[in-house]
Amino acid sequence: MSGPASLSDLAGRMAAVVGARNCFSAGPDLLTYECDGLTHGRTRPDLVVLPGSTAEVAEVVRLARASGRPIVPRGSGTGLSGGARPVPGSVVVALSRMRRILEVNLEDGWVRVEPGVLNLDVTKHVSAAGYYYAPDPSSQSICSIGGNVAENSGGAHCLKYGFTVNHVLGARLVLHDGKVVDIGGPALDAPGHDLLAALVGSEGMLGIVTEVTLRLLRKPEATRTFFATFPSTDEGGEAVSRIIAAGILPAAIEMMDRLAIEAAKAATGLDWPDVGAALLMDADGPVAEVEDVSARAVKIAREVGALELRLPRSEAERQLMWKGRKSAFAAVGRISPNYLVEDGTIPRSEIAPVLREIESMAKDRGLRVANVFHAGDGNLHPLVLYDARNSGEEDRAEHLGGDILRMCVRRGGSITGEHGVGAEKAAYMADMYGEADLETMKWVRAAFDPDEAFNPGKVFPSLRLCGEKPGPGGVEHPAVKSGEVQRW
Amino acid sequence: MVTGERPGTPADAVQGVVPSVVLEPSTVEEAADAMARAAAGRKVLAFVGGGTDLGLGSRPSRLDTVIRTGALSRLVDHAPADQVVTAEAGMTLSALAQVLARHGQRLALDAPLPDRATVGGVVAANAFGPRRARFGAARDLVLGVSLVRADGTAVRGGSKVVKNVAGFDLPRLMVGSLGTLALVTQVTFRLHPLPETEATVLLAGLDPDQVRSLAAAWRAAQLEPSSAAAVFASDRLDLGVRFEGFEAGVADQVARLLGLAGKAGLTGDRLPAPGATAFWARHDAVRERGSLRVKLSAPPSRLPEMARSWLPTILGELSPAAAALYPTLGIGFASGDPASGAGLAAGLRDARAAVVAAGGSLVVCDAPPAIRPAVDPWGPPPPAIDLMRALKDRFDPEHRLAPGRFLGGI
Repeated sequence: MSGPASLSDLAGRMAAVVGARNCFSAGPDLLTYECDGLTHGRTRPDLVVLPGSTAEVAEVVRLARASGRPIVPRGSGTGLSGGARPVPGSVVVALSRMRRILEVNLEDGWVRVEPGVLNLDVTKHVSAAGYYYAPDPSSQSICSIGGNVAENSGGAHCLKYGFTVNHVLGARLVLHDGKVVDIGGPALDAPGHDLLAALVGSEGMLGIVTEVTLRLLRKPEATRTFFATFPSTDEGGEAVSRIIAAGILPAAIEMMDRLAIEAAKAATGLDWPDVGAALLMDADGPVAEVEDVSARAVKIAREVGALELRLPRSEAERQLMWKGRKSAFAAVGRISPNYLVEDGTIPRSEIAPVLREIESMAKDRGLRVANVFHAGDGNLHPLVLYDARNSGEEDRAEHLGGDILRMCVRRGGSITGEHGVGAEKAAYMADMYGEADLETMKWVRAAFDPDEAFNPGKVFPSLRLCGEKPGPGGVEHPAVKSGEVQRW
Repeated sequence: MVTGERPGTPADAVQGVVPSVVLEPSTVEEAADAMARAAAGRKVLAFVGGGTDLGLGSRPSRLDTVIRTGALSRLVDHAPADQVVTAEAGMTLSALAQVLARHGQRLALDAPLPDRATVGGVVAANAFGPRRARFGAARDLVLGVSLVRADGTAVRGGSKVVKNVAGFDLPRLMVGSLGTLALVTQVTFRLHPLPETEATVLLAGLDPDQVRSLAAAWRAAQLEPSSAAAVFASDRLDLGVRFEGFEAGVADQVARLLGLAGKAGLTGDRLPAPGATAFWARHDAVRERGSLRVKLSAPPSRLPEMARSWLPTILGELSPAAAALYPTLGIGFASGDPASGAGLAAGLRDARAAVVAAGGSLVVCDAPPAIRPAVDPWGPPPPAIDLMRALKDRFDPEHRLAPGRFLGGI
């Protein structure tokens, strides 16, 4: 077929497929699509298209390819690594109109949804029947399932329940040539290569997912939560290590350091004490098991030197404890004009020395870092605080963020535990993997998308990207700004 | 001849195809060197671990060299505090379990024949056991791999931490790939604590509907068994349900399951240790014995048809015949010795047609040589077969890694 010559020609053809109101190449609406949750790197796409069905996505892909334009898939745009950032001349394909829940099968424990369905809406849909969808990124009230599939999203409870990849049973995928293919399905172990493993976490570089079959879990009978404070993160880290060593698998175990606690208090007015570390743990499962496990963990926390232990007396109180934890991130805005969010993983046994190293690295650069993290799996979220009005401080914050990521790799960890590589961390991939490792990953991409039509410039370092600096966040997502949701 | 090289013998055959050379590298470097030399000589390869799943797949169309991983059997790194282990591909599950048990930990992957099955083989064949019900399969436990590509280049994928989303997922891509993409030389897994105690409840003489409704009842009651397996006993099912964890939680769940069974008019027993061992040995026999072994997978709600119709269609052609199924996973197994190739082929065809129509699959895990030509091990290729071929073409452009063994002739 002969490709459309000009942008206006392409826009016209796209509009004929998706409707004029779902396709635009100018105007204020375009602004939203210039970046994702990582708002400092903005690129104007040629065109934004919002298809409403698999057939429309396939046609949109064919038209975009015929015009030679790269395609950037997009969910809710809440990602923090620039994974949905457009490249110049690209067509952004936003899946936010495709938000139907197509089929629920509680007996076999799955649900089939369109990619624009919000994470939390899946659980809401089946919760009355006693089921839920396990991966719970903190942005779950605004992030989409399609985005979760692209980024292999985790959440506080993935220590016990795993990531998106452990909960996706099947997907419908539109390929670079507009062909539609189904991968996996409700029955386990479909013969063949595990293409779902390749697809989940591929950051939108293999194709566009237009349907996803998700595993649903029966809700645990009970959840027991406790909150403990410690003089410093040394004791907090020790408590985590000993709880794990005691054979306990918490549903979630989270920690905050002094600065993060200070911020959370400032933002929420919670009467949390002024201490060096706070730990929040969930245990879930059958009641008798959970009571037992929770008591064991509390005992360990005491032995390690907890200053104070609080057990919620009601679900409302429990939610409040979690709110304090979840608000810490945005709350940092109360104690610093600007901040940079990092996401790295270390072996969990090294939490205490790593935090000391971060503190010393921050001191060297004359900055402060607040730490909020998923302690059970060693996933750190250092928040680098700075004031952009002070000349050079933003640069120092960026460099410190990079130092922290490299330190994670040096300690045997990862440059990203759950936010993805995206455009932001592509330059750091070479710190974690060798050239041949990356080449092998590119083979996977090439098998699906030989022309690199989908989401170019992400994940893999390039000369151009190596020259780019990862940078701090500026403008908040409106829902985050309003305090409605958290994003990590 | 170099270190670890010898002529192939019939004992080295992969589905009857005898290689001319066998290489047994004892280090990752030797493995990479063996692969590089094979690449230079354009040798057609197959990889063998413990040989427990060599019957899986079609007969390779060509074979020059077998690379055995048995001498690659070292524990590379165990970080008990991080609950992560890295082992060389040829380490057996039993040897690994022994090391981990000293630290009160385990790899929660209870594949058949653990004394022979290797970690690399378990990944390549996606082998699993009844604990999959709680802990998942290899793809849920693998964190990282070291590979040697068809071109002889050693690469890594994934990481050694439980939480990592950097880059494309090479570790999980190896799961079930049966040596068609690369040689796995090391695997990193996440570990779980060894439970303080375990208990198995036996509910004997059930019919398939009773198994199905009891499984639904314990799910509704929010019980969380670590395994559930129904072993066929003539025309009835003996259901074993295992709980693991701390004593308080296990005792409570056992009592509640017995209560649920009582309400359904069934009687169950918490088996004493020897009884539990005997029950799981019956289960193991189904998974490990028989010249013919078949795996069926379907949505769990189809369990009654699997038990009443699909499995018996195959069992009728076997003598002795044994079968078991995992009610919460929707997976069943039949094993035994076939009387006639023609009868068995027809039985498999009928069973497969029904399973596939239900959205599932039937895979022949092993078959006697005489009958193999009459048997299609994989069934119809999936809709995404072209993507699998494209993957193969990228990883192994000359098709030198186990050619023809995978589905669709890959």
